[in-house]
Amino acid sequence: MPLVKWKNHNIEDVEVDLMLCALKLRYGYDFTGYARASMKRRLMELSRYFDVKHLSELLSAMLYDEAVAQTVINCISVPTSEFFRDGLVWETVRTCVLPQLDSFPWINIWQIGCGRGEETYTLAILLHEAGLLKKTRIFTSDINPAFLQDARDGCWSRRRMAGWRESYLNSGGRGNFDSYFEVRGEEVAIRDEFKKVIEFIQHNLVEDDVFKEVQFVVCRNVLIYFGDVLQGKVLKLLARSLERGGFLLLGRAEKIFELHEKYPELEGIDDASQLYRKVIGRGGHV
Amino acid sequence: MTRRSCTARSSEGAGMYKMLVIGFSAGGVPLIKRIVQALPRNYPLAVAVVAHLPEGHESTLAQLLDGIAQLPVSTAKDKDVIVPGLVYLAPPDYHLLVEKNRTHAPSFALSVDGPVKSVRPSIDVLFESAAEAFEGDLIAVLLSGANSDGAAGMAYVKQLGGLSIVQDPLESEFSTMPNAVIQRVKVDYVANIEEIISLLLSVCEVR
Repeated sequence: MPLVKWKNHNIEDVEVDLMLCALKLRYGYDFTGYARASMKRRLMELSRYFDVKHLSELLSAMLYDEAVAQTVINCISVPTSEFFRDGLVWETVRTCVLPQLDSFPWINIWQIGCGRGEETYTLAILLHEAGLLKKTRIFTSDINPAFLQDARDGCWSRRRMAGWRESYLNSGGRGNFDSYFEVRGEEVAIRDEFKKVIEFIQHNLVEDDVFKEVQFVVCRNVLIYFGDVLQGKVLKLLARSLERGGFLLLGRAEKIFELHEKYPELEGIDDASQLYRKVIGRGGHV
Repeated sequence: MTRRSCTARSSEGAGMYKMLVIGFSAGGVPLIKRIVQALPRNYPLAVAVVAHLPEGHESTLAQLLDGIAQLPVSTAKDKDVIVPGLVYLAPPDYHLLVEKNRTHAPSFALSVDGPVKSVRPSIDVLFESAAEAFEGDLIAVLLSGANSDGAAGMAYVKQLGGLSIVQDPLESEFSTMPNAVIQRVKVDYVANIEEIISLLLSVCEVR
């Protein structure tokens, strides 16, 4: 067979495949079902960080050196979150979801992709303000133990407070946002009372199954990193995790296509915040 | 209009453009309005727009454009299949990417990865991913703006055979962005807004 010249970007796609294959076979981290465009951006960023001409030059280092592999895994699964990101979404949670959750004697919430804890503690603050924190357990999960530890620590740079305070106000927050934190030099730390209700769990949406039935699943801006097939599989898992009448919150620009055909167990509640609910009644669908 | 190099499509490639990507920041809103207004109902390309706008103003742009455009305008959602004749805007605070897809037509993807050139959405991110997906079937347009986002993306569009068009810095309200591109890339056209519109329309005529 004659060998044909390829454009570099197509060869890079092969390199991305090789990296993902190596991570899966050698370390058990399976990113092969992830959406490729942003995965490639992150990996190409990494090849600049390691100053290699071609991504595949990192292969042997990654296979033989766990520290290099950890850097790659951290880079691929890098969290980005903020307190009260998308204020209006959290306002919907305040007004639509929390009053419904109050009807349960005991509330379990699963928040996926813990980031550095910003969104987890956002939930805790909302529950506190609604007077529901005492009967709530929040399970926050991530595939990466390093991020779970960061989230557990709950410390951030003070400089970020101004933006978060504004988002809090946009979400309809009427309390004193700063009073939920302690200042420690140049950092702020979330108060311990918010940590008590949270369990930090290492969980991989790609391989692990439902671990608990909950009334509220918060999975914002996680599915955008998954390819179609994985996305469908994970959505099914999230729906299974929900008690009937429970809520599912996705990222603002995420959308479940063919909702009725593929996920009859879910109904759309609010398109702007991508809020869904698991239908009550109508047995046999789940 | 300055034609910087001769890449106008020869007959065999003419009319094969499939996607148009447009980026701008400060000073670009009146320009995108004019462009979107001028695109006819049967425009054969999908159009994706990345705009840096002050926080809170992003979502109104989609409404504004939808009110004046002949083509349907919407905010791109994750995994939307890219359809010719539709105008998509990057959602506020997300990067907009084009996913090549090995087995089916290109679609949009979103990410909340950190800002690139201190902005999100970033023009570079859209242009670079669109260039890989569409190569020579892509037209990229960069308008007025006050930072250098888009220059790297435009370089990549050019490298992969797409048509590169930049607003003439002398005609731009904010010339930093067009200048950054011109300094970095030998773009195909440096043009004023009327010329840009007629270039974009000429794509349909050759069909």
